[in-house]
Amino acid sequence: MATLELIHVVKKFGDFTAINDISLRVEEGEFVTLLGPSGCGKSTLLNMISGLEDVTQGEIQMNGKVVNQLGPYERDVAMVFQNYALYPHMTVEENIGFSMRLRKRPKDEISNRVKGVATMLELGHLLHRLPRELSGGQQQRVAIGRAVIREPSIFLFDEPFSNLDAALRVKTRGEIKELHQRLGVTSIFVTHDQEEALSLSDNIAVLSTGKLEQHGSPEEIYSKPATKYVARFIGSPQMDMFSGDFLMIDGIPVYHIGDAEVPLPKKIIPPTQPVDMGVRPEFVMLGTKGFQASVRLVQPVGPFTYVTVDWTGGSVTARVNGVSHLKVKESLQVEFDPEGILFFDRETEKRRDL
Amino acid sequence: MAHNRRYLNRFFIRLALVTFTMLALGPVLWGVVTSLFPLSSLTSQPPDLNPANITLENYLLVFDTSRGLFSGLINSFIIALFTSAVALAVGSAAAYALARLNMPGRNLILMTILATQMFPGIVIAIPLFLVMSRLDLVDTHFGLIMVYLSFILPIVIWILKGFFESVPMELERATAVDGASPLQTFQFIVLPISLPPLFATGVFAFIETWNEFFFAIILTRINVKTVPIAIAEFSGQYTTLYGQMLASAVLASIPVVILAIIFRRFILEGFVEGAIKA
Repeated sequence: MATLELIHVVKKFGDFTAINDISLRVEEGEFVTLLGPSGCGKSTLLNMISGLEDVTQGEIQMNGKVVNQLGPYERDVAMVFQNYALYPHMTVEENIGFSMRLRKRPKDEISNRVKGVATMLELGHLLHRLPRELSGGQQQRVAIGRAVIREPSIFLFDEPFSNLDAALRVKTRGEIKELHQRLGVTSIFVTHDQEEALSLSDNIAVLSTGKLEQHGSPEEIYSKPATKYVARFIGSPQMDMFSGDFLMIDGIPVYHIGDAEVPLPKKIIPPTQPVDMGVRPEFVMLGTKGFQASVRLVQPVGPFTYVTVDWTGGSVTARVNGVSHLKVKESLQVEFDPEGILFFDRETEKRRDL
Repeated sequence: MAHNRRYLNRFFIRLALVTFTMLALGPVLWGVVTSLFPLSSLTSQPPDLNPANITLENYLLVFDTSRGLFSGLINSFIIALFTSAVALAVGSAAAYALARLNMPGRNLILMTILATQMFPGIVIAIPLFLVMSRLDLVDTHFGLIMVYLSFILPIVIWILKGFFESVPMELERATAVDGASPLQTFQFIVLPISLPPLFATGVFAFIETWNEFFFAIILTRINVKTVPIAIAEFSGQYTTLYGQMLASAVLASIPVVILAIIFRRFILEGFVEGAIKA
């Protein structure tokens, strides 16, 4: 187990800056996810941590020691690749045991350890199969087995679920979480899937085009996004954003969105710079209080129904428990729960607590 | 209607395939038949193909040392073997470098390699002969191997480069994370998964060299006559020993046919499949 620290890390490919001054600390045994859309540099950052990609500027430290110059193996990291990268000509047993074979461990030691790992990952009956004879989920477990047998200081996962179908993805996610709880090894996980990030991680680092937007616990990232970017990226359906204006009506602060007036708690002091307002669907209430709107779209998703309503100059999506009997064009009233209202500086896009 | 049309389509496709096969195999069949009859049956008008006349005498006669078939087989074998071995050794290294290393001038090198293939043989035949005779390399194994290498190597490099590019980069990254040195990566991963394509390419080079006639006839005299030349020499100024000529041709084809069968199996074997889940 190890701590990992990135200190002002930069990666350039020619003139292109892939990673722009990222600093991040990962504690011993922590499960951290690098989350961002494709092209944000999260895989590059993972490859830099692994030692497969060198660092242009800055330092990577493991257990307080600089590892910039060390190769992947010397860093004692193990990696699960997006497409698994199983050795096609080797059986499951040989794939899992390959790193031990390289270290010239005795045959029966290798065989015992491989069997142990394979049993843990429910691969015991597949030891003599070739990768091409396995299902996607099984191949994935072999890739994990190859990493587990190393007993590394840090596990690195590069989008390991992206080739699995939805059902298997959720199942494997649970398995990875259990594995981490059991082994307690520091883990860095790369994904573009917010649900994976939220469900697996102790902490999430949200990246956008080579920059670190926010680093925090899943709750923080979800309910206190540091920037508009994070607010929009996390949560499905997306947080609705409004570019409105503050007004004081009878000593009460009100945020104007088109025709609608959203009353806010008295303690809020309207700022001098313009701010945007954001609200998630679960904080939008439909009923008989608030401003007037009409239903545009009703989307049931099982436990909830997402209802999108329109008014002159705005639209918002609300989450309704269970099945909704609202009809399109039906008119109703909309209220925002002040607890869930967030403000973002229009210029800097940073969150502002008013 | 659509049903009928599909059957009709299938019928025409099969007819075309049968026609093509007959056109391709007809001469081969005629060659085998010819090799089994004595010259007298073949030269009579019309040819007397009475099965009672079938004999293996042609096959026994062609191994008469003065006919040069036996030494031709040995020469061809030496030349084809060396050419394909060197082509593989040099070609695979070059192809791996061209596929994996991001070196300056990579495209220029690739296009230059390809450009060597653009001249018809006849264009370079005379200058090549002059150079080879100045270097005293006419009628030597070494000379012919060098000439064949210059034709085979570019093709080998292009074929293998395509293969190496199809090997996923992640495999090499995975070995690096597992703690393998570049040499170990080559030994345990790259080499084993490359064996089928290497073998197939080697067989291809061997067959090409084995069958080559044009440069062999220009660049050999007595010592290094290859099989195609030996076969051609059954056609003399006054007589052509059809039976023996075709018996030799049948014998010379056997290694090629065997290799072609193996070649086909290896080409079809998608060994890298399963490495990566796409």
